[in-house]
Amino acid sequence: MSYQIISIAGLIYIIAMPIYIIYLLTKKEKIGYLGTGALCIGVLIHLFGFIQRFREMYEINHSFIRSIPITNLYESLVFFVLCLVLGYLIVEWKYGKKGFGVIVSLIAGIAIGLTELLGVTKEVQPLVPALKSNWLLAHVTLSFIAYAAFAISFVAGLFHVLMTSENRKSFKYILSTTILAFMFFLILSVIIDMATVENQKSIKIFHFTLGNSSLFVAILSWSALLAFIFVFWRWGEVIVRILKEFKIDANLLEEITYKGIAFGFPLFTIGGLVFGAIWADQAWGRYWGWDPKETWSLITWFVYAFYLHAKFIRGWSGSKTSVIAVVGFLVTIFTYLGVNLFLSGLHSYGSM
Amino acid sequence: MAKWKLENLNEKIWNFFASVDLAVALFIVISLAAAIGTVIPQQLEPEATIRFFSKFFSMDTSLKIHEIVSLLDLNNVYHSWWFTFLLFMFALNLVVCSIDRLPNLLKSYRTLPQALSMKVLESMPLKKQLILSDISHLKEKLSEILKRKGFSVNVFDTPEGIQLQAKKWSKTRLAVYLTHFSIIVILTGALLGTFFGFRGHMNILEGTALDFIISDEGKTIPLDFQILCEKFEVEYYENSAVPKAFRSYLKILQKDKPVMINGKDTVILEVNEPFSYGGLTFYQASYGFQPTEHAEFRFTFLHEQDRKIPIRVKFEEKVRIPNSAVLFSVIDFSPALGIDEEGRLFNMTTDMINPAVLVEFDNQGKKTQQWILKKIPQTWDTPYGKLRFDELWGAQFTGLQVRKDPGVPFIYFGSILLCVGLFVSLFLRPINYFVIIDKNKVTFYSPTLKGKVTIEKQLEEIIKKLKGEGK
Repeated sequence: MSYQIISIAGLIYIIAMPIYIIYLLTKKEKIGYLGTGALCIGVLIHLFGFIQRFREMYEINHSFIRSIPITNLYESLVFFVLCLVLGYLIVEWKYGKKGFGVIVSLIAGIAIGLTELLGVTKEVQPLVPALKSNWLLAHVTLSFIAYAAFAISFVAGLFHVLMTSENRKSFKYILSTTILAFMFFLILSVIIDMATVENQKSIKIFHFTLGNSSLFVAILSWSALLAFIFVFWRWGEVIVRILKEFKIDANLLEEITYKGIAFGFPLFTIGGLVFGAIWADQAWGRYWGWDPKETWSLITWFVYAFYLHAKFIRGWSGSKTSVIAVVGFLVTIFTYLGVNLFLSGLHSYGSM
Repeated sequence: MAKWKLENLNEKIWNFFASVDLAVALFIVISLAAAIGTVIPQQLEPEATIRFFSKFFSMDTSLKIHEIVSLLDLNNVYHSWWFTFLLFMFALNLVVCSIDRLPNLLKSYRTLPQALSMKVLESMPLKKQLILSDISHLKEKLSEILKRKGFSVNVFDTPEGIQLQAKKWSKTRLAVYLTHFSIIVILTGALLGTFFGFRGHMNILEGTALDFIISDEGKTIPLDFQILCEKFEVEYYENSAVPKAFRSYLKILQKDKPVMINGKDTVILEVNEPFSYGGLTFYQASYGFQPTEHAEFRFTFLHEQDRKIPIRVKFEEKVRIPNSAVLFSVIDFSPALGIDEEGRLFNMTTDMINPAVLVEFDNQGKKTQQWILKKIPQTWDTPYGKLRFDELWGAQFTGLQVRKDPGVPFIYFGSILLCVGLFVSLFLRPINYFVIIDKNKVTFYSPTLKGKVTIEKQLEEIIKKLKGEGK
């Protein structure tokens, strides 16, 4: 089955993360190539799984355009990871820097892990009538390519904020180290949760860590999270030093942050908002209806519009704008996952 | 003095509305307001809203919160006066900002380029200096390289040396104003839709016609034509309750006569494929089960090999099976017949997933009963011949969404402008280089902040070429 192939790709992404960490610590060029190689093999297996799933969809739907596997939460998460890793490999090749590989493989690992832990169905499902439209392809693919661009912008922006913050007490420093710490905690928790799965159907995220039924383990996990945050806060400058040793400076980080948004924003506008509106107009008889998904897309759009305009305001250059890029991606995650998990609306195809 | 003060105030107000700061403030405020609207339930009855808050707070607090919420229209954010006001400010900001800046930009295209002073050049964020050994034809070589890269080049003689100005894609700066204009177009479209359009729905029972719409506000809007639903059908995926497609076969009737649309008198309406008539657009939205008097069970009696005799009966109506003395009637119907764990029959839903009829045969007083299922051919065999159950006609209604919105062309046009504007302004950024050639010393300046690393890379390429050809 296709999802088993994609799970293997996910496993390889997760393995790529420690390889990148070792590379950053040892500075051995060969290990860096090993990390990139792992991501490349992961992408190839992922693409194979994607094509396999396409075939499975085609057997049900018998339509080429409508068989692209992006029709539910599982498929879209997986497609997002594919775009993210491919996008990162392009950035790595273009700028010749491997430093972001850690965080990118980490995000990819978390996303693939979530498909196991959110209890989403991985089976190929037949399309409901509302999804039978050629706009599906244009709307969803462009949205997720944009999300992936925002993710890359987020990674660079996060490092940029960290690198340019003045001291440990500054908001920028605390924000960036806390997010980093939480991400590392999340991936560990996801791995542990996946390893301790007992019942595939009733599985929940953090079931073994923060939400463990044993109070002792739960408290231990919360303390671990706080410890992570403390460690990153205390030794955050080590990360900055390592980045600088790899000639990743603030200018480069700012540029990648900007490029990610400059690429993602128009794609998000056309794919997410405009194509979404046209499709909604044809399917539901209104182009805009303040549905939670639509509203949060607009909020995401405003945050990134804020980023682009802030660049014009005097005194807003540098890391201040990168904070917006970081917040922008957090809002993007909410638009994508949070709305499906917490708010109800018409975009229920992406629900559990 | 007073006049001067007034002018000063006017200017202040103008600058306020033209500022990026206002734009940024509006981005934040509108976002927050919109976010509130996704958390607090919108457009519900007061009781339902209070019930929502009582999930988190005590009853007394919930009542107080509800008071505040309804005072500030927080349960109807997107249609509240203050949200409309914010959007209006947003539009005003866009207009004033464009009027403020566009003329200067246009003027800069019309005026002839002039040599810049060293003070201006030195203040630019990017500077790169190099000393060359070969200084012959430096100006010509550099112009040639820049021109081959698509730049337009102007040359000036200044006291500090020869000044080269290279420009590329400088007109793409206009695209920002196209983007801003497109948002105004979209907002205009939305305004037109709010004032001159409406939305509503009509539920037409299979086999009947309707000549009015129920608007979303609950008003009845008469039509000057009728819509007849001749047939409605739902297809399901095999062995599944997931609908694959549903469609209505509609006729537009003017004075009881069908109107031809695209050369046909029947319109097939499906999800994602709306159709328009008389300034209104109709969408296939929903469907439902509603048994009525005029509903009829449609059978086909499969006589020997080829002869098929259609039979139509109403509920409990007795009909003779062809060429026999046997009477049969439908005494029960199930849209979705299922069998529970103990082997009992039960009805799963009102969706026609697995339609079945309980038929009673009366052979001169000898009565027998049998379930006939549409989807299972084995059940068509009866003691008196093969009787296929085709459908129950007239027991479902089709739910149509109806809309009139004169703003839609504006929305589409604005969307196209928005995309074009964004792509041009973000992918084709203007690039400017200023070069001072002073004997063997060449200094490059660039005023562009965004994409500094890329520009440095391009500059290095240019320098490499200059050096390579200089050798």
